[in-house]
Amino acid sequence: MNGDVILEAVDVCKHFGGVQAVDHIGIRVERGSLHAVIGPNGAGKTTFFNTLSGFYLPDSGSVRFEGVDVTNEPNWRRIVRGMSRTFQTPSIFPELTVYQNLLIGTQARRGVAFRLSLPSAKQRADIDARIDELLGFVNLRAASSRTVGELAHGSQRLVEIAMSLSTEPKLVLLDEPMTGLAEAETARIMSVIHDLHDRLGLTVLFVEHNMRVVLSLAHRVTVLDRGRLLAEGPPAEIAANEAVRDAYLGKEIIERV
Amino acid sequence: MRSGRRTALWGGVAVLVVLAAGPAIGTLLHLDTSILSEVLLTAIGAMGVNLLLGYTGLPIFGNAAFFGLGAYGAALSVKDFNAGFLLALLIGLAAGLAGGLIVAPFLLRRRNIYFGLLSIAFGQVFYFIAYRFSDLTGGEDGMAFPRPPLKVGPLHSPVDETLMYYVVYALFVAAVVGFWLIVRSPFGQTLVAIKQNELRVRYLGLNADRFIFVGIVVAAAYAGVAGALYGLLLRFAFPLLMDWHESGNFILMTLLGGAGTIFGPLIGAIIFVIGKDIISTITPAWEIVLGAFFIACVLGFPRGILGTIADTIARRSAPDADSLDAGPPAPTDQGRVAVTPETGA
Repeated sequence: MNGDVILEAVDVCKHFGGVQAVDHIGIRVERGSLHAVIGPNGAGKTTFFNTLSGFYLPDSGSVRFEGVDVTNEPNWRRIVRGMSRTFQTPSIFPELTVYQNLLIGTQARRGVAFRLSLPSAKQRADIDARIDELLGFVNLRAASSRTVGELAHGSQRLVEIAMSLSTEPKLVLLDEPMTGLAEAETARIMSVIHDLHDRLGLTVLFVEHNMRVVLSLAHRVTVLDRGRLLAEGPPAEIAANEAVRDAYLGKEIIERV
Repeated sequence: MRSGRRTALWGGVAVLVVLAAGPAIGTLLHLDTSILSEVLLTAIGAMGVNLLLGYTGLPIFGNAAFFGLGAYGAALSVKDFNAGFLLALLIGLAAGLAGGLIVAPFLLRRRNIYFGLLSIAFGQVFYFIAYRFSDLTGGEDGMAFPRPPLKVGPLHSPVDETLMYYVVYALFVAAVVGFWLIVRSPFGQTLVAIKQNELRVRYLGLNADRFIFVGIVVAAAYAGVAGALYGLLLRFAFPLLMDWHESGNFILMTLLGGAGTIFGPLIGAIIFVIGKDIISTITPAWEIVLGAFFIACVLGFPRGILGTIADTIARRSAPDADSLDAGPPAPTDQGRVAVTPETGA
């Protein structure tokens, strides 16, 4: 970590009707870090995340990616710049095969998605090689021709992570990647998140409410509570923070960790 | 894994070869050659609907406007500018395409029922223009025009019904080959992905609106060619061609034959056009009979005739890895694993 900030949000606000879901929240994500956003239910984690990824435009505040103001940019353009994201409920193409799910983003990154003619044999081989690499990364080569909608939930998550890598991002945003997973699947996703950082050298920002996961994975933790920023710091500091304990963690949980 | 694709390819080639003998088959079945021309040109128009409805998931209910623009384009170019056959066709195509370019920016951001309703509204605008601007279009009475001779190089021939059929046939083959290329191209694969999950397409860095824009324009061009051929077949263009009722017929044919399959619109057009021709000689209430038949088809073939057949075949063989148009592959023997339902916050 060299202090290079890849994503920076300042004073972001977002309300829905009378509810201030996100109230002047800021974040600085350093390049190459594994950064977690935590908070109890309703803390505004996902809403904040959605303003970062362009799912919503914030009411006020700014979002900068690699120094460029992207606050009001459409979501797809942020992806072109090098962000990517997953969703709490995996956002996939359920009736397509795993291969086809990875094909769309791979073609997009190679700039051939808009072509009305068939790709050349060479291009196709290049695309297939890249998809094979992605399948290998999430260990789903054997499932390549299976329909994604039929796969187990954990495998759909992995497909979605591979899809988000197909665009060759610099920053990956993961929205509650462990939600609804069995123990074994959680371990698998955790090791994939590790690999995103260690093997692929990507910056990862993830929302999670599983404290054990956060404290063991993250380099830096941002804690939200009721739409506000409660604390930010390295995991050990967060675990010791009184306000965080009161708001969210409970003494017991921290001691177990 | 590839055998399913090869079967489909050879099946398609066989269909095109059989259609080449259209007039002879028509004589055998006591069908006018002009009815067969109508089948093929209607199928071309329905293919445009299929690209949007079957592949992209957009209910285009205003396609008849582009069809009518094609017919008027051909009619006006012949009547006012003495255009030849091919030029009239080209102008008809250009008219349909121009209609698409005008309407597409307004439809782009609408989805589902709103897309359908707005496309009806635009279609009706064109209908009323044709209806009201009678100086240009002949208004309610429509406009009759002669079918110009075909001039290609040294060939210079009046277009009788048989030659007309072969012109329609040639364009149908071109339309099928073009369609086949489009749905297998990265562009077509992305349209299918948009149908499944547009949000994810955007989060793969693609501006889905651009794809939909081109999809609408391509559909309009298909409708324009079809309409120009229809005008040249009838030697007539009239406002009802643009009516939303006509758009509904294109949708019906597409769903009947199998939305999302290449030859579905052809099957729908065969049943619709020939069915109408036969049943209307038996009873004036042909729409009731055809309607009842459609209901039976929808119940018996939920994914359209070709779509349901393709599904059944797919269920009996292994899932095909890279065919996007054969519908969802069947479940494999490894069995389904329950997907945990979740609510997004």
